[in-house]
Amino acid sequence: MSRFTTVLAVAAIAVAFWYIFNWLQPPKPPQLDPNAWWGPIELKGREDISIRPFEIKFEKKVIDDLKYRLKNHRPFAPPLEGVTFEYGFNTAALEPWLKYWAEEYKFADREKFFNQFPHFKTSIKGLDIHFIRVKPQVSAGVQTLPLLLLHGWPGSVREFYEAIPLLTSQNSGYDFAFEVIVPSLPGYGFSDAAVRPGLSLPYVADIFRILMKRLGHDKFYIQGGDWGAAIASAMVTLFPEDVLGHHSNSAVTQHPHALLRTLLGALIPSLIVEDHLAERMYPLSKHLAYLLEEFGYFHLQATKPDTVGVSLTDSPSGLLAYILEKFAVWTRKEHKFKSDGGLGFRFSKEKLIDNLMVYWITNSITSSMRFYSENMSNKFREMNLEAFTSPVPTWALQARDELVYQPPAVLRAKYPNLLNVTVLDDGGHFLALELPEVFAEDVFKAVHAFKKWRSTHSKTDH
Amino acid sequence: MSRLLFIALPLLVLASIPLYLLVLKSPPPMPKLDLEEWWGPPELKQKQDTSIKPFEITFSETMVKELKERIKKRRPFAPPLEGVGFKYGFNSKQLDSWLKYWAEEYPFAERQKFLNQYPHFKTNIQGLNIHFMRITPKVPKDVEIVPLLLLHGWPGSVREFYEAIPHLTAVSKDRNFALEIIAPSLPGYGFSDAAVRPGLAAAEVAVIFKNLMARLGYKQYYVQGGDWGALIGSAMATFFPKEIIGFHSNMALTLSPAATFLEFVGALFPSLIVEPELANRLYPLSEKYSTLLEELGYMHIQATKPDTVGIGLTDSPAGLLAYILEKFSTWTNPDFRSKEDGGLSYRWTKDQLIDNLMLYWSTKSIVTSMRLYAESFSSRHFDLKLDEIQVQVPTWVLQAKYELAYQPPCILKLKYPKLVNASVIEDGGHFLSFELPEIFAKDVLKAIGEFRKLKNVKTEL
Repeated sequence: MSRFTTVLAVAAIAVAFWYIFNWLQPPKPPQLDPNAWWGPIELKGREDISIRPFEIKFEKKVIDDLKYRLKNHRPFAPPLEGVTFEYGFNTAALEPWLKYWAEEYKFADREKFFNQFPHFKTSIKGLDIHFIRVKPQVSAGVQTLPLLLLHGWPGSVREFYEAIPLLTSQNSGYDFAFEVIVPSLPGYGFSDAAVRPGLSLPYVADIFRILMKRLGHDKFYIQGGDWGAAIASAMVTLFPEDVLGHHSNSAVTQHPHALLRTLLGALIPSLIVEDHLAERMYPLSKHLAYLLEEFGYFHLQATKPDTVGVSLTDSPSGLLAYILEKFAVWTRKEHKFKSDGGLGFRFSKEKLIDNLMVYWITNSITSSMRFYSENMSNKFREMNLEAFTSPVPTWALQARDELVYQPPAVLRAKYPNLLNVTVLDDGGHFLALELPEVFAEDVFKAVHAFKKWRSTHSKTDH
Repeated sequence: MSRLLFIALPLLVLASIPLYLLVLKSPPPMPKLDLEEWWGPPELKQKQDTSIKPFEITFSETMVKELKERIKKRRPFAPPLEGVGFKYGFNSKQLDSWLKYWAEEYPFAERQKFLNQYPHFKTNIQGLNIHFMRITPKVPKDVEIVPLLLLHGWPGSVREFYEAIPHLTAVSKDRNFALEIIAPSLPGYGFSDAAVRPGLAAAEVAVIFKNLMARLGYKQYYVQGGDWGALIGSAMATFFPKEIIGFHSNMALTLSPAATFLEFVGALFPSLIVEPELANRLYPLSEKYSTLLEELGYMHIQATKPDTVGIGLTDSPAGLLAYILEKFSTWTNPDFRSKEDGGLSYRWTKDQLIDNLMLYWSTKSIVTSMRLYAESFSSRHFDLKLDEIQVQVPTWVLQAKYELAYQPPCILKLKYPKLVNASVIEDGGHFLSFELPEIFAKDVLKAIGEFRKLKNVKTEL
């Protein structure tokens, strides 16, 4: 261990010199291509920018085919003796899920459930973007604030269904409620996928900015988790004047100063993080080992999404295992050592299959995974978005078992106006779905703080 | 004086690194191997059948019918992004022609016959029924029969050797020996059983094959391997230098700290490490690492979550085809990533590649094949530090132009001090025996000829 610390010290000093050098020369602001077009060329200039109502349909043909595949899957290799979820999704735990999906999941009911909120589509930059829009039912004197809710992978708009009623109703103690706009990311669910490469974080950020403006919201609040948090981060970096406040439940920054501080904290943790939270990020070796163990999917999707996508498109069993493995091990780290992956801990089978249906009926697993490749491309990394700070007031909600933890000292490298962090002793990666009340309450708290901050800072600070 | 110290001290520190890595560092101990470790169901331990049974590959009608149906009923695949070739993985535009061929034109009965052209057997080693082919040439009186263990890798199979075997087993006036080939399926691959419990990594597979060769009556023999076969063969040569009298590898790699150190030295002074015309196979290091990063996603997921990704691959023939054939594209020539068809017709017929797929599909072995990565990349297996234990067996490496990684002789000699030769060829990729069977066979025969000259030993049968 001490040898590692020495190596780390030397590395930290080297990195320090490198970043100090970079800091003295601020990076150039990234330029987005204004002519970016993600749909067929023929549609350019002819797109339908009206906001059209949309209904989710579970078509009989699709359901019959799905049931057939589930019932007629090939026999799966038995798990190794004494192994739970250490090698991935334990096939002994698979059968009850497949049986449920094929025989008990109530397709008609769930279709209705999905459509309880109004859905719409509108064409932006060549892509039909799907979104849910719910206006709050509140009495006079209660302000309505626009809130953009952004999901990630392998999630969907379904993650917010339990939180939406809470966000769109009167909450005692607050004089506002939210109008929520919940889109499917491009290439996910009911939103079109790009036909050409290049649709990375900043371009998705641009699409959502256009969406909000089209809906009449010149300025708005954003909440995001997973890729949603990364998109939110891009939005507050590129369009800070449009965003009134930024709430994230997957707050992570790779700003050079953040990395520097993280390395410094490896030597002297008390400089960077509170004692009782130090174990959420140190020792670095332990956490890097954990990330290495969990990020095989990331590595594969960032390089060969179309390859692995074929089997996941073709086999619902394959899709279920691939996606539910994340809901298992990212909710609680110790669930990796449970024979059922701890999947029944906070999620009903119904909830998780709802989410799978979004991927299955739209056939969007491959395009969803391409987002990883786009965001790891040289073209995107050269934009160096992480090196820019954002003045937008920011609030982080940090669940106990989230994949990566960064303390305020580190987050402030990117978000100097980090107003607060809520640290939970509970919860995992899919926070909105897992703990909707806690999630919604924290969003109210954050926006209240954003409003207060705004009233004392009349112009956005830089 | 103090100025001298200021310069001398860091230099001394720097010099101590190679001194330590290359000279002073003692090798790790030889791992303790359990030669009777049991990998099968515990009930069978008392009634182990040690006979060698002939085996025939069968493509049953039910299996074929079901396969065709699954292919026909496939879901529509996401169209590829414009202009990307194989850069995002298997280009789905190619899938239709491949799947149509597999379902409608691949002649299952013929191919079954083709695969059975060599004699197949099974025998139970340490609880697992191990499948192997054994081809014994007919030789005149003065020609010695010499056994060669041929080891395949992932996502390959014994099929990779079919075209090379006639060349390998040929009798020729130019040599006084002929090769008898023993080509097993790795445990968990093809027709060999898979372990029922964790722990069967490359080192343990080496033990299984040592026991296999002992069962077949060979006291001394040669080993040839590529991909996992190279790693397993290397482990065998490390552990059993009495039995293995020569080792030929077409994917020679050593990943010890000393090897990495030399690679870094060569980044600054290439001429110290590698011949100038071969420098671009290793340098610049940044390019090498970014290419590896681009290509090793599969390894990362298979080393951590094989059971997850394997479910879709077990269930969908289209999924399996895309996953496996992507490697036959990219690992044959990295430039094939820019081609719309992935260059898949460059060296192989559709029959050849689908033969190999059938060995995964018909045996449902994709998941168990991928577990080898998880087992071998475990901290337990890493801690054996096999890369730091030298191989005391004469070694010969064959280095194809487009193999995934290249190391020059001075680095290889860290692990293989008895490196007899490195054949560098300006052609070929990862699946060398499959791609260039004649060149492959010629080199193997040359190597064994040299091994024999060195030892001048008569192999006892």
